[in-house]
Amino acid sequence: MSTASPVKTTAVAAQGVWKAYGQGEAQVVALRDVSVEFASGAFTAIMGPSGSGKSTLMHCLAGLDTTDRGTVGIGDTTITGLGDKALTKLRRDKIGFIFQQFNLLPTLTAEENITLPLAIAGAKADPDWIKRIIHTLDLTDRLSHKPTELSGGQQQRVACARALASRPEVVFADEPTGNLDTRSGAEVLNFLRTSVDDFGQTIVMVTHDPNAAAYADRVVFLADGQIVEDMADPTADKVIDKMKHFEELVAAAQGENA
Amino acid sequence: MLRATLKGMASRKARLVLTSLAVVLGTMFVAAAMVLTSTMEKSVSGVIADAYQGVDTVITNGTDPAAAQGNTPSAATVPADVLDRVAGVDGVDRAVGEVSGQVNAIGSNGKLVGTFAPTIALTWDSGDDSGYIEFHEGDGPAADGEVAVSAKFVADSGLDIGDTVTAYSYTADRTDFEIVGVYGLSGDRDSLAGETQIMFTTADAQRMLLEGEDAFTTVYAYGDASTDDIAAAIGSDEYRVQTGEEASAEAAEGFAVVADFMGYIFLGFGLVAVFVSVFLIINTFTIIVAQRQRELALLRAIGAGRGQVVRSVLTEATVIGVLASVVGLGLGLLLGWGLSQVVSATMMGGLPVQLLIPATTMWALVVGIGVTVLSALIPAVKASSVPPVAAMREAVNPPKPLRGITIAGAIVFAAGTVLIALGMTDNLGGEELTGILSGVGIAFVGVTMLTPILSRPLVALLGAVMSWSFSGRLGKLNAGRNPRRTAITASALMIAVALITGIATLVSSIKSTTAEVLDLNLNSDLIVSGAQGGANIPSFSRETLAEIRELPEVAAVGDVYMDFFGTQIDGEDAPLASSEDLNAALGVFGGTVAEGSVTDLAPNSVVVDEGTAEDRNVALGDTVEVTYADGETAQLEIAAILDGYDLTNGWWVSPEQIEHFTLPKPMQAYIQLEDGADAAVVQNEVDEILADEPEVGVTNNAEFVDQQTSGLDTILAAVQILLALAMIIAVIGVVNTLVLSVLERTKELGLLRAVGMTRGQVRRMIIVESVIICLFGAVLGIAVGIGLGWTVQRALEDEGLTNFALPWGLIVMYLAAAVAVGLLAAIAPAARAAKLNVLNAIAYE
Repeated sequence: MSTASPVKTTAVAAQGVWKAYGQGEAQVVALRDVSVEFASGAFTAIMGPSGSGKSTLMHCLAGLDTTDRGTVGIGDTTITGLGDKALTKLRRDKIGFIFQQFNLLPTLTAEENITLPLAIAGAKADPDWIKRIIHTLDLTDRLSHKPTELSGGQQQRVACARALASRPEVVFADEPTGNLDTRSGAEVLNFLRTSVDDFGQTIVMVTHDPNAAAYADRVVFLADGQIVEDMADPTADKVIDKMKHFEELVAAAQGENA
Repeated sequence: MLRATLKGMASRKARLVLTSLAVVLGTMFVAAAMVLTSTMEKSVSGVIADAYQGVDTVITNGTDPAAAQGNTPSAATVPADVLDRVAGVDGVDRAVGEVSGQVNAIGSNGKLVGTFAPTIALTWDSGDDSGYIEFHEGDGPAADGEVAVSAKFVADSGLDIGDTVTAYSYTADRTDFEIVGVYGLSGDRDSLAGETQIMFTTADAQRMLLEGEDAFTTVYAYGDASTDDIAAAIGSDEYRVQTGEEASAEAAEGFAVVADFMGYIFLGFGLVAVFVSVFLIINTFTIIVAQRQRELALLRAIGAGRGQVVRSVLTEATVIGVLASVVGLGLGLLLGWGLSQVVSATMMGGLPVQLLIPATTMWALVVGIGVTVLSALIPAVKASSVPPVAAMREAVNPPKPLRGITIAGAIVFAAGTVLIALGMTDNLGGEELTGILSGVGIAFVGVTMLTPILSRPLVALLGAVMSWSFSGRLGKLNAGRNPRRTAITASALMIAVALITGIATLVSSIKSTTAEVLDLNLNSDLIVSGAQGGANIPSFSRETLAEIRELPEVAAVGDVYMDFFGTQIDGEDAPLASSEDLNAALGVFGGTVAEGSVTDLAPNSVVVDEGTAEDRNVALGDTVEVTYADGETAQLEIAAILDGYDLTNGWWVSPEQIEHFTLPKPMQAYIQLEDGADAAVVQNEVDEILADEPEVGVTNNAEFVDQQTSGLDTILAAVQILLALAMIIAVIGVVNTLVLSVLERTKELGLLRAVGMTRGQVRRMIIVESVIICLFGAVLGIAVGIGLGWTVQRALEDEGLTNFALPWGLIVMYLAAAVAVGLLAAIAPAARAAKLNVLNAIAYE
């Protein structure tokens, strides 16, 4: 495992994680003995073809899904084995989410959507912080709008603001640009980059878009439930090149396993 | 297509069960009503036929069949010589005269026996060999002064064989009789239908009921003589000659009234249930269609026609309608049978039930299926308009604009209001009441159409109360999200609450009016009166009245004598009243004299209120002709005109005329006490004086109001059962809506859980949504109900219903009930929402 970016502290870590769905013949192994660490203040992309297990990995890391074997830790907390209540509290306080479908509440305004995690926790928002995110995302004059009155790009920017509102330990982004046009996608990715560079935010992003992956500090490639490559300082070309030789990578990985 | 429909239905069993439940309830009550009515009719005719068993011919006085009973002043009788003539007809083996009627019998506790079912007086026929009467002990009365009583009489009176029973009637003073026998009726029954019976000798019965006249109320003939022969022998058109079967059928009709009344109540329950189910069915099918939007669009995309889609939804409705109606019918038959047992045991003295399922019960099926299919029509047409392209798109159901339905609702509501206004201002040419009632109905429909637009401000307002927590706030926002759905869900509750509130408002207005009339004007502190019951209008003796007058604490007594058995003024029916001292009575009642004087009334004078005087077009000093119950007439001069006042309206004759009254005894006495007297102490003293007066008691004014209005409370209680029933259906509707909401918002719920909402918070959110929908329905229902009650009160203002009073206690209770319904309905959907797998919820769609 190569670690190109300088390791400060570890924000998220997975140790020997296995995950399978279904029973008997129909069983599909989604993750096979995956161990990976994500450094604080780094922007990491997880890439891989459909069915490679990248979404499953993210769900396990974020405490949305349980692991069959192995442990997952966020910050100092080992989340494996935690009950629903503790997991819920952990997601609320330590994790931010950005989804492909934006997933905003249609009944709330943009501003209310941004502060939603804080409202659920019954916590006070830090007004300076919220103002700063909103300003960075250029949402200042959209705050009183309902999601249906916003464009896709604006909605996803609201979702970004929501993910950062409670200064989580890590933000998980699941194909955040999947439903956006190129320009809006670039805006969102630029913001994610900025939040890492300026705010020191930790971001783990699942994507299958080499251009999106190029915004990250590091790319972890997944295939057939295993990490097959770990690339530092990616560019779109490097990523595309790597993907062209994917089958070789997989074969090599399987050779290692055998 | 049919296969696809049925398979689709099978996969949504829970929703189908919920929808079916509403149809089941409606059908069940309609069917039960029909079974109850016909079963009770059959059972009653069964026992009546038993009573007429073996009787071949029945002869009664035909001039006034209604009066063919002893103990009314105008009892129409069959004289003894008619009996002799009947007995002499060829083919008549035996002819018996019976004297039947009602008497008051005093039980061991000093009160009347069988207050609500008067004691029936009969004559003992020693030659009766039908076996209908079965003696438990002793025998029939062999000599005058002896009686036999029914086993039910023994049970109710506390008297038994060997005891002495005191009986009296309108026309006969108290007389003591010795009980020499106790009997039951064939089939091991204590009574025919819950009444108490006493059996006299013929001579005693004639004394008690016919003022000693040698006549009968009925003559029974046994033998095969034809009715024509018997009629010819009697030789007068004055008498009716019927076969035993005819007389039995006629008697049964009268008895079946109780069962009919119960039947109507249950039919009403059933129809309200059916009406409320319409909303539920429309909502459920709208929901099913919304959920299946993609499936329907797919069907359209692969070539299904619009008609096929409509038929698919209607097929589903038909299947539900048929299944639910059949189940409802089955349960209805059981319920009808059970209710018949209960009615016969509690109200008809253990009448043996003979189950009869009338062919008309099948109408319950027609109603159940018809309502289901018709209600599903709108959603079905909506389903057919799903464009094929919707199969490829994400399912979004943007709330439809409310303008159309709001404008239509406003027009309908305005039309209803105008009709009410026209009716109230007497502008409908004599059809005012019809106009007002139709107006109320139309306005009701209008309000129902306006519920979606009303839901916005009302839900926001009600929600504001619940928004103290963030999940509460989200719940409130969700409740206001789809106004149409919220409105139609709340409508079921609104209808029930509106009906019940309307009735409760009327009842409280009547009570308030009654209380005000008494409070404002009445100067009395205590009232001697009795509840109607027994054979007579409750009354007491003149001696008792005199004793009360003599009590030292009593300042004045307003006594009332009344008669309305055939009394007339100038040839028109008019109840008569009298008082021993009208001047003093007016003082106690708070009535006032407009013209003339009521002091020292001359024997041939009469006093009348100004309203009646105006109606009859008479004035002070005019002479009117009075006809008394005893048939005598007299010319009376109007000595005074009273101001209009409920308690003293009518014709007052001078005390000298009381002797002409059917019952020359005081019926009520209003007692005014000396200043400083303790009403409670005097009430006890009066109570002691009344110890030997079985028909009346003494109450203070408040107790009197309660006594006068206690019947209303019973009606109100019965109607509240309606509310409970409608609430069951409303719960189903709310559950349905919430389950759909949870399904539709799976993704949102997933997001909320992902960003840290706990299961408890999710549950609270759903509960708040549920409670708000229910409160909205209840608040609207209460508002509409108050409007309903107000309209009817205004319409009846001229009839004396002058006060409008809100039943605050009940209104609070209905609101509390709505909250309870909301909590109950939220249980399952909230649990379902809380249990959602976060991951699946996010990956949904």
